[in-house]
Amino acid sequence: MQRLNLRFKQLFNPGKQDSSPGGTAGVSLGRRLFFFMTALAMTIFVGVIAILILTGVLSAGLSESEKMFASELLHTANEITRDYGLISLRTIDLATSLSASIEASAGRMGVPATGLKEHPEMLEEIISSQYERALFALLVSQCSGVFFILDATVNPTLENASHSKAGLYLKNMEPNIISSSTPNITLLCGFPAIGRNNALSLHAQWTMEFDISAAPYYYKPLAAAAANPHLPLSRLYYWSGALTLPGTSEEIMICSAPLLDSQGNAFGVCGFEISAMLFKLSYMPAHRHFNHLFCVLAPLGDESLDLKRSLLAGGYSARVAARNHSLLRIIENRRYFYSYQENKDTLYLGLHEPVKLYPDDSVFAGEHWAAAILLPQEDIVSSITSLNVLLFSLLALLIIAGIICSFVLGQKLFVKPITDGLDLLKSDNLATAPKTKIPELDDLIEYLSSRSQELSQKARQENFSLEILDQFLTNVKQLSAAERAVFDLYAEGYSANEISRKLFLSINTIKTHSKRIYAKLNVASREELLLYVQLFKALGKEF
Amino acid sequence: MHHRFRGLLFGFLFAFIPVALLLICGCANQFAANPLILTLWHNYGGQLKETMDEMIDKFNETAGAENGIIINVTAISGSATISEKLAMAAGGEPGAPALPDITTAYPKSALLLAEKGLLVDLDQHFTAEELSAFVPQFLEEGRLGGGELFVFPVAKSTEVLFVNTTIFNRFAADTGAKLADLQTFEGIARTAASYYEWTDRQTPAANDGKMFFMLDSLFNYTLIGCKQLGGELFHDGTIDFKAPHFFRVWEYFFKPAVLGHAAIFDGYATDLAKTGDIVCSIGSTAGVSFFSPIVTYADNSSEPAQLAIMPYPVFEGGEKIALQRGAGMSVIKSTAERESAAAIFLKWFTSPENNLHFVSRTGYLPVTVEAFGELMEHEIAHISEENIKKLLQTCRLMQEEYDFCTAPLFEGIDEWQAQYEKRFKEIAAASREAYREQLMNGDSTRVRVFESVSSRAFDAFIQGFNR
Repeated sequence: MQRLNLRFKQLFNPGKQDSSPGGTAGVSLGRRLFFFMTALAMTIFVGVIAILILTGVLSAGLSESEKMFASELLHTANEITRDYGLISLRTIDLATSLSASIEASAGRMGVPATGLKEHPEMLEEIISSQYERALFALLVSQCSGVFFILDATVNPTLENASHSKAGLYLKNMEPNIISSSTPNITLLCGFPAIGRNNALSLHAQWTMEFDISAAPYYYKPLAAAAANPHLPLSRLYYWSGALTLPGTSEEIMICSAPLLDSQGNAFGVCGFEISAMLFKLSYMPAHRHFNHLFCVLAPLGDESLDLKRSLLAGGYSARVAARNHSLLRIIENRRYFYSYQENKDTLYLGLHEPVKLYPDDSVFAGEHWAAAILLPQEDIVSSITSLNVLLFSLLALLIIAGIICSFVLGQKLFVKPITDGLDLLKSDNLATAPKTKIPELDDLIEYLSSRSQELSQKARQENFSLEILDQFLTNVKQLSAAERAVFDLYAEGYSANEISRKLFLSINTIKTHSKRIYAKLNVASREELLLYVQLFKALGKEF
Repeated sequence: MHHRFRGLLFGFLFAFIPVALLLICGCANQFAANPLILTLWHNYGGQLKETMDEMIDKFNETAGAENGIIINVTAISGSATISEKLAMAAGGEPGAPALPDITTAYPKSALLLAEKGLLVDLDQHFTAEELSAFVPQFLEEGRLGGGELFVFPVAKSTEVLFVNTTIFNRFAADTGAKLADLQTFEGIARTAASYYEWTDRQTPAANDGKMFFMLDSLFNYTLIGCKQLGGELFHDGTIDFKAPHFFRVWEYFFKPAVLGHAAIFDGYATDLAKTGDIVCSIGSTAGVSFFSPIVTYADNSSEPAQLAIMPYPVFEGGEKIALQRGAGMSVIKSTAERESAAAIFLKWFTSPENNLHFVSRTGYLPVTVEAFGELMEHEIAHISEENIKKLLQTCRLMQEEYDFCTAPLFEGIDEWQAQYEKRFKEIAAASREAYREQLMNGDSTRVRVFESVSSRAFDAFIQGFNR
């Protein structure tokens, strides 16, 4: 019973190690239960994660983001195509009307339109006469500026006269305000009298003439017109990449077309401007979760986007960061998004869509453009990581809550009733022990109670037998030496006659000894004597 | 349960659960589904728009993102247009736009909205300690004469004297003129006369001298001039034309204007400065970014233009007083949540760091005491734009030496201002035209000609007013 009690104590007191020699460290019932529960919970956790991975839930953020990007891109690309197409049309219309009007004005002054460069004194009057036309064109367009440049300068004697061209540039400072009754128009370039006579302020970066030293919007349409004299204006207009006019600070895109006289000779260009601010206000992605998401309209090269010549619509920090990059190589990913790389470093993830700015047979049809929705890679990685961290955290919380509940409930409803029941088992009187309400334990208590009674009875019997044997042994020690010699030979299985011969004694002497031995050992016969001997041998005891 | 084991378990749980909760909260915040979108109308257009756009983007990406607020600019226009739109919206006029959550407003346009109970008293959203950080006069102006703070100061301006020193130095080298002479209106008038003569001598034609200066706001000049001389332009809501100081102020611009020494122009002086048509002008500090670093002449030749920025001139014997200008921001009443969000934006925008960032790029003045102090000195040292640096240095000087006053606030002040400017320019332009004609007709005695064309000008000016 003592040994049994020790095992119970070790089982329900997990910290206490078995101190018996040769005993092993045991694991308590409570700890076993906790480990089983934890193992179950972890199995479920791993199983759920495996299911999430297999079903693609962990990458659902990427998938959803791509869908959002695609929707945004479709909308933006369609708007850009429509708006830029409309501006192309207005450029052609303006070039047509300005060409005719300027040619007529010059004609009235006795010079052809192409001959104005020889008559700088006429420029102010001719350019001023086109102010209303240009202003109207600007007000009805969705542009931030309108201009025309004549192949002439007011002062051919100046050092930089070859790069200086007269013209007019009106800029709408608040193009995003639709139907404003008081549009904020300023004169960016042109004779100051035009501004003063028409209540226009001079732009802070106003100049008298255009600096065309690096002006593709001037040279390219003129070169196209010269090389393709039979093509209509609709095949000669040109969209410049993003550029900053000399002396100004804002990036713009320009659509320009040549001014042609009735003979088809070019004498200048005209067009419209889209400022970076107008582009931003018109096409800024509406997604609010990605602060650095931006839209870009960029020249599309051979698997690359030219960010340097693009206009961007996005938050300030996105625009500033993007301006540090130039050519982005486009890499198609296996599952989601395109990667846009510079020097093999992926900078952005996103999608792009070609935007058609020219007819197929335009002189500039070979210049391709694309609208793209881009996001810095780290932003989308961070976003997906955050989503998955959220998912994992919720799962982990669920698992932990489960373990805590099972631990608390297991202790209260499982371990404690068992330990209480086992404490009952340790009590002396199992027969009067209360019910544990655990059938198995109650059965065990009942069984142990009845068994205990049987064992007590048997033990009592066993104790009685042992007393007889002990008495026998005591009696053996009272035998004389002669009697002991006879007894030993009896114990070895010899008969009386054999003993007499062995001890060289008469049979009568042996019988006398035998009587005394029987008397001292309290046995009635040699058979009874031998039964004791066998019992001792069976018990491994010696006399 | 063994104590050590139990300790480990609970330690793990107590450590992990807060981390997990923080992560979840962090993620939840990042993915806030419905940020509050506040509409903003402002008058920082033109050259200032880029800086304002940058500031709003910055707010949306930082404090706005943290607090779930997005500022959406739905109108950028001149202050007059915004005032008109606000009046329309407040009056429920047909086709009027909905009122924004935040708008820039001058006290006079805010007064209209406040009288209709449409403005939030911003005292409720700022603690006394927070308000104590602002320049008291700026807050006082926003109280519209009452106790409630309806117009919050975000950026103020004053008026200063801008001088093209490239031209002036050339003129001074020949004539001995001094920049210091331009510290008084009398000195400006004398220098202007001298400049006219100097330029007249450069060409064979007679009487074709050039203008020297221009005032961006004749009304402000008169208002401040009267104050400098110890008087007031308005008495009981009406201009006191008979006051002796008024005539003095009036004449000190009228005479140069008629004689061709000062410009009569509907636009801003910066336009004339770009073409070298004037040498100096008095205008708002916010106009500094409109000065070009190059002067281009009529024949398309050009030269770099250096700019000196001097304190607002003072009439001889007068007090150093200058005008405090600049709109503030008002919050339109809506829900408590939107009003609080608007206050968060105002706090961010006027924090010394952001306020100085804005003013150092626009030529406005900061609104907090801290921003005006050491912080401003530090900012000045790091400004790359030379003209803004000069401007802020001058403004610091004026802050120490000048008293600032605000325009009077009463119904009809706008009409008075518009009439004043219009009448003055009409009379001055007509007198100037008559003066020129008489000179061209052979009368070479300028003084006599001037007297003949201007003898009845003042009376005509007064009588033409529609009271």
